[in-house]
Amino acid sequence: MKLQEFTSSKHNFEECMKCTVCTAYCPVLQANPLYPGPKQAGPDGERLRLKDPYFFNKALKYCLNCKRCEVACPSGVAVADLIQAARIRYDHTPPKLRDRMLASTDFMGSLARPFAPLVNFGTGLGISKTLLDATLKIDHRRSFPKYSGRSFEGWLKRHRKEQAAFPEQVAYYHGCYVNYNYPQLGKDLVKVLNALGIGVQLLEKEKCCGIALITNGMSATAKKHADHNVAQLRQAVMDKGLKVVTTSSTCTLTLRDEYPNLLGVDNADVRESILMATRLICEKLEQGAQLKFKADYHKKIAYHVPCHLERLGWGVFSERLLRGIPGVEFYLLDSACCGISGTYGFKKENYETSQAIGEALFSQIRALSPDVVACDCETCKWQIEMSTGFQVMNPISILAEALE
Amino acid sequence: MKYDVVIIGGGLSGLVAGITLQKAGKRTAIISTGQNALHFFSGTFESLQEPSQRIKDLFLEAGVRVHYNPGVRLTPMGTFKEAALSLEDIDLFPSEKIGKRVLIVNFQGYHDFFSSFLAEGLEKQGMQCRVRFLNLPELERLQQSPSEMRSVQIARTVDPLWEKVVQEVRLLLKDEDTVILPQVFGLADTSVPGRIRQGIPARVVFAGTLPPSVPGVRTQILLRKRYQLLGGTYLMGDEVVRAHVHEGVVHSVATKNLDSHYVEASEAFILSTGSYFSKGLVANPFRVYEPVFGLDVEYKEDRNAWYNPSFAGDQPYMHFGVKASADLLALKDGEPLQNLYVAGSVLGDTHPEFGSAAGQAIQSALFVADKILGL
Amino acid sequence: MKPNEFDVIIIGGGITGAGTQRDCAMRGLRTLLIERSDIATGATGRNHGLLHSGARYAVNDSESAEECIRENMILRRIAAHCIDETDGLFITLPEDDLGYQQTFVDACRKAGISAEIIDPDLARRLEPSVNPSLIGAVKVPDGSVDPFRLCAANMLDAKLRGGQVRLQTEVTGFIKEGDTVVGVHTRSRLTGEEADYYAPVTVNACGIWGQHMAEMAGVKVNMFPAKGALLIFAHRVNNVVINRCRKPSNADILVPGDTVCIIGTTSTRIPFEECDNVAVTPDEVDLLITEGAKLAPSLSETRILRAYAGVRPLVSADDDPSGRNISRGIVCLDHEVRDGLKGFITITGGKLMTYRLMAEIATDLVCKKLGVDKACETAETPLPGSEEKSYEAVAQKIWEAPTTAQKAAASRMGTRAARIRTGNKRDDALICECEEVSVGEINAAIDRLEVSTLTDLRRRTRVGMGTCQGEFCACRAAGLLAKAHGCVERERRDLEDFLQERWKGNFPIGWGDTLREAEYTQWVYKHVLGL
Repeated sequence: MKLQEFTSSKHNFEECMKCTVCTAYCPVLQANPLYPGPKQAGPDGERLRLKDPYFFNKALKYCLNCKRCEVACPSGVAVADLIQAARIRYDHTPPKLRDRMLASTDFMGSLARPFAPLVNFGTGLGISKTLLDATLKIDHRRSFPKYSGRSFEGWLKRHRKEQAAFPEQVAYYHGCYVNYNYPQLGKDLVKVLNALGIGVQLLEKEKCCGIALITNGMSATAKKHADHNVAQLRQAVMDKGLKVVTTSSTCTLTLRDEYPNLLGVDNADVRESILMATRLICEKLEQGAQLKFKADYHKKIAYHVPCHLERLGWGVFSERLLRGIPGVEFYLLDSACCGISGTYGFKKENYETSQAIGEALFSQIRALSPDVVACDCETCKWQIEMSTGFQVMNPISILAEALE
Repeated sequence: MKYDVVIIGGGLSGLVAGITLQKAGKRTAIISTGQNALHFFSGTFESLQEPSQRIKDLFLEAGVRVHYNPGVRLTPMGTFKEAALSLEDIDLFPSEKIGKRVLIVNFQGYHDFFSSFLAEGLEKQGMQCRVRFLNLPELERLQQSPSEMRSVQIARTVDPLWEKVVQEVRLLLKDEDTVILPQVFGLADTSVPGRIRQGIPARVVFAGTLPPSVPGVRTQILLRKRYQLLGGTYLMGDEVVRAHVHEGVVHSVATKNLDSHYVEASEAFILSTGSYFSKGLVANPFRVYEPVFGLDVEYKEDRNAWYNPSFAGDQPYMHFGVKASADLLALKDGEPLQNLYVAGSVLGDTHPEFGSAAGQAIQSALFVADKILGL
Repeated sequence: MKPNEFDVIIIGGGITGAGTQRDCAMRGLRTLLIERSDIATGATGRNHGLLHSGARYAVNDSESAEECIRENMILRRIAAHCIDETDGLFITLPEDDLGYQQTFVDACRKAGISAEIIDPDLARRLEPSVNPSLIGAVKVPDGSVDPFRLCAANMLDAKLRGGQVRLQTEVTGFIKEGDTVVGVHTRSRLTGEEADYYAPVTVNACGIWGQHMAEMAGVKVNMFPAKGALLIFAHRVNNVVINRCRKPSNADILVPGDTVCIIGTTSTRIPFEECDNVAVTPDEVDLLITEGAKLAPSLSETRILRAYAGVRPLVSADDDPSGRNISRGIVCLDHEVRDGLKGFITITGGKLMTYRLMAEIATDLVCKKLGVDKACETAETPLPGSEEKSYEAVAQKIWEAPTTAQKAAASRMGTRAARIRTGNKRDDALICECEEVSVGEINAAIDRLEVSTLTDLRRRTRVGMGTCQGEFCACRAAGLLAKAHGCVERERRDLEDFLQERWKGNFPIGWGDTLREAEYTQWVYKHVLGL
């Protein structure tokens, strides 16, 4: 008999002790009083929503989904999941054109890439920014990430043969950013993994992880992406016995956790094989592999653990790798949200909140004045670069740069 | 991942042990399931002997100033509780007579500070009290949210405005010799409570609020920062799900976030997971147990004997705890595990020589750290 | 007429008393209600809160069944804001006799209760939490009713019609002239103040305590207290009432009510002396969980909020103390006819469901005695707050874009929510975060609904009824009460009493998350706040 033998409720939200710790760590609350806060929006609101969906509060859209509430919660309540799941279940407002555009990162990327110089020129113009602001409510103070003329996929396909020659293989889920905006990060990863004797291959056909679709109210499309991607991951993991590495913390969290928790897509058989590349490299180094670094490398690095990496609990791997580079002066920034949260900060209505949230982080960076800020997230990179002027590099790129 | 010592539980006890060990040159990691009971800390230690220079230094080096001054603390309900050691901004008084005339100042719309109870409690002791409310326009923004006028948010807002608070309180002050303010100062800028004290021409007493406790959160932040500056690895928001124990020795633990990437310790593990709240101890209808290692737990078999039907009475369940040897090595099936130490409130009352609550957290953690260091 | 003279005095602030006061007031009588503690503290507030369709009684007690379905339909009309029209299922499990289902359905139909046999698959879709192994299901018009709200609305309506209410006031004796009761001696439990009140008729509506009251008046009514224990789960596991389709037994009804759901009940005869202090035993808790999990398996893994017990006022129609003639039906005793004591009526037995009918019967008798000829209108006139059918409609009508707390207030107060001060920071601040109760709603309750303690406030507003059981809201609300009553010292004691009362319901189920919460509450109140 199972008579309450389980110590905690299987209804995770009931484990909330109403201790209010989450409210102390929510970056949105500090900047936007219209947001009900993680406790009210999460476990407290859930009880009311179970009574009647009428109690769903549209202000839940102000949640950044940074998951800092979950990291802070002493009771293990999946606060942000509760909030996002409630949005998926109860908010049937059709997404605006702007949100649909912002969310469709891969579609926009594949459209823009062939015309990259033109698009980059266009989106960079003051007049287009004003137009975007006025028509689509995309804040004019934002700069769009530049599109790259050549995709990463195309580059790696051209190097398929030499990669296949390595005795050990991994598959790389590169994500939209590496493919369309910044192929260099993918190339850096290949360099580092090759140095460890590991060859890199693509998944047969990856799609955008879908996080932007989820947060912009297009979970049905997101689920299609998830189904597709999990099938692809299975092919790599189950059929080919490969690990799948990533360089974006948000894509990783989405593939591993948002799929089962928010979209109901079962990934149990592949979940543990999806790793941030930093974790895989650390594991290799622990097993005795070695990397040769430049003798004259010197950099003052301030490392910002992006929110979703904080949630994954894997900031420790990037930290280890960076600390391990000879000549690196390493500073761990106090854990704080940069405020961009993917597409959130691009929206006109969120701009002020977004910048206010990030200020705690920006001021630390300004005070330290590092040579470079290290961070595993592309949207944090845009935000920090735009807001502080300091250059931001993925730890993998820093590793690649420091390698002999 | 390999460390010298792995500490499970990142509250006061885990941090004290972690800082001590890092300082002594050990490589350590703390695995913490989210934040901890420091967030509900009254700022005072009840059953602490005169603390050693070592404890004072440990705190001071982290930027946490404490003072030893056995006496009584003014509680938010206007009563007094005995305490020996307190954070710098929390006063301990020799007697319950804290002043003659008292001005109690609260913020308009703040329901987590109980000015009327404070006044009534102090008037019972023969003091004259006046309650006044401050209306800072900057706080109105917070009140747009019906639930978020909370201590920590107030602190974030008013810390930079401390000069304004001083001015406003001075305007309210008549002939009072004592001013009571809520403990919502000095979250990020620890100098604020001191500045407020200097600026107001009366004795300023900071009285507690409903959680989160601003002095507690500040203490947590400072201790964690100190630990990380010493090179310690703080795995926040992770949880040990499995332990690998072989022939009385703990080899590694698996965590929720790191799954197959085990965390190993070459010298020792410390269990400082706290009591029920933080799931260091778990109760189901049949028993009380320790969930990570399945250690021996001192508790009463009869469920009826766990509780005192009077809320105000002493609650037996709060005394239950993990059994440990005199060296604080954890007991499993009656035998000590060779490299697993126990510290803090997961011990319950099984080792009263270490005191209780915050006092126990510190003293047992230091004891355990010393054992590991062979001192 | 002097201020202490009335047409009728009603003793007992349960639903029967409040309903009777309302009915009397609607017929133009000057009424006084006296209650020794708060409204709905006895059996009224200590049951499932089930809006019976009558189906449960159909097979064995067709008279009760018919009463129930009639009153069920009436309450839907007059008490919309107290009622949740959830429907109910009577499920047959593999271990039950499926043959009983037809007997049950036939009896329901005979009593006028719509009972529809549905496919088990449909039942699983209608109520996903139901035990999936069910082999049969019948759908009936059960629902849930909030007894506190219902009682408060009746009392409020009586007050709006000029009725007076004295809560926390004990009847210490009867004033008699010869063989006629002409009034009562009372003492306030708050101030100790004594007062006498006069009326040609006094109604004893004290539930199980009616035996004692009758004794004081010099007549004998034999009551047979039966304890029923129940458990409250921390959230709404089911949205449809789930019953077992079998002979009524222990723990075979699971009722969703507001943000929680309730499993019950047991039935144990207890000595009369225990009525004032019933406790739930570990055996009862275990039985409730085990049986409850058969209705909805997830109950075995759902956090339990509290355990509580009520006492059913079973009554013997005659004065035979053996209890052979126990009735579950309504008993209205005219002591003039029965015992030769004039001016005294006892109304008892019955159920929460049939309170209005009981009130009507009692009021008819009162009117007859007073020579008043006015028909009962309680079946047609909505209670204050119930003028709209749904709280969505209420909230939308009052506020353009209602906030969560405003929606919650509308669901608790119905149209009366329009009287809450809201729309400004001070009044909109939340006191109870679990149930979304604002300063404005609490002040509205204090102003109009006879609140003297935190526990009273809880019954009016759901403050402290949520998951945390008063961890934060109790002391916040205490601050407001202290201000309203101008007495901090009394409020300090009240806060202690409130916490004790919460703990009383918590420790019988003190494990898992409930014990974690209890430990946290101990830290907050004893350690941090220093209570």
